[in-house]
Amino acid sequence: MKIVDGLQLSAAHRELLRPGEMVETAAGEWHILPRYFYEIDSWEHAKQTPLTPHFTLSELITVDCREADLLLRSFPHYVPCAVSILARYLEEFRQRVEAPVYIAVNGGYRSPAHRLSVHPNPHLWATAVNLYRIGDTWLDSQKNIERYVRIAEAMGEEIYVRPYGYAPGETDDHLHLDLGYLLCTPRGYTESQ
Amino acid sequence: MRMMDEAALQVRIEEIRESGRFHAIAAHVYDDETGREFSHAGDRWFHAASTMKAAVLLTLFKAAEAGTVRLEDRLHVRNRFRSIADRSIFNIARDRDADAAVHRRIGRSMKLIELAYPMITRSSNLATNLLLDYLTPAAVQETLAAARIEGVKIVRGVEDTAAFEQGLNNLATARGLVQLFRLLRDPQFVSEAARRQALEIFLAQEFKSMIPALLPSGTEVAHKTGEISTCTHDAGLVLLPGRRPYAVAILTEHDAEAEAPQKAVARVSRAVYEFITA
Repeated sequence: MKIVDGLQLSAAHRELLRPGEMVETAAGEWHILPRYFYEIDSWEHAKQTPLTPHFTLSELITVDCREADLLLRSFPHYVPCAVSILARYLEEFRQRVEAPVYIAVNGGYRSPAHRLSVHPNPHLWATAVNLYRIGDTWLDSQKNIERYVRIAEAMGEEIYVRPYGYAPGETDDHLHLDLGYLLCTPRGYTESQ
Repeated sequence: MRMMDEAALQVRIEEIRESGRFHAIAAHVYDDETGREFSHAGDRWFHAASTMKAAVLLTLFKAAEAGTVRLEDRLHVRNRFRSIADRSIFNIARDRDADAAVHRRIGRSMKLIELAYPMITRSSNLATNLLLDYLTPAAVQETLAAARIEGVKIVRGVEDTAAFEQGLNNLATARGLVQLFRLLRDPQFVSEAARRQALEIFLAQEFKSMIPALLPSGTEVAHKTGEISTCTHDAGLVLLPGRRPYAVAILTEHDAEAEAPQKAVARVSRAVYEFITA
């Protein structure tokens, strides 16, 4: 996949993707938004790009009409390079649960301009995923969600899984797991501004 | 057939109300062929029930025409909504929803136009809340205000129990719903192509036990029903061969134990038909 420096993108794309910009989360933490992206020429390209044996790029970038027009309707699309690391964790999770896992729309990468991105969260780094179904199990009850929370948490300290519940930061209709605010700078690319 | 004039129609509706022990029946009619209007308690407010979905559909087309949404755009199907009363989370119980097809798409996406069809034709509560959540009740209210419709008030989606318990409900009058359906004939509202598409959706209505039930075969009705335990409504356009349509809204309020209130609405609809064609 072609890698691009977000700081070299068009002004319209930079305004929406805000590469390298420092942003504040709802918890008052400050983080730097991703700067390096994979460039996706077409939807077909995304569908035909496997990140792991069971996950294609398209599954991790599917958004709805709450995404900014330019990012939704025109190609190329851009997705932070950390998406490939997320896919590896998903693949491991899939092996542990021994069933297909289904990623919700808006549940992979979404841009800072997406209407659901009011408060920055790891989805903007392409390091978070929302799963709505595992095998034939719909993740819409405490029992089902907590069963898989335990499996996801067992993958490692670097994995954060939102607990079941209705309060902010909790989930009641999907399983959210993320790797935090992970930035991926490919070899040969600089972090200098 | 007895000649049905305005006075006779008023009496007929009262007879139906008394025989069914309804708390109230309202009917409002506008005949596009003659410009004649009839009203029986046409300005009385009722819980709008699912007739509110007609306002959501027309707002969708208005927004599409304005370019703020595209009917082919896809929306995430998620069964999770916030009450307007206390921001608590609620969802649409699958077994309380007349349509299961949208529930089967949870987690994935559907086009706005694909949601519009089940919202009207099978009264899908999930499709309604998804569309209203996206469009916002304020946008629906703005559409109604711009069209000078005062008899329909939309404040929330369906199945918002916390709001219901606080008396925060969508409301409608029979006159308001007639005005709403008349927008399907109003070139000032949206383009002819958009009105034709909206009409097609209303014509595909699958619940036909009320306004169309006792009308002659060959009559087409573009309509939206609405039923909760104590209200049974139907409103729409009646398209008779060889003449312009008439818009009619029939709203009822009754005890939760009322027997077959749909039949009473159908009888009022028949009486209105006899009045219009007398």
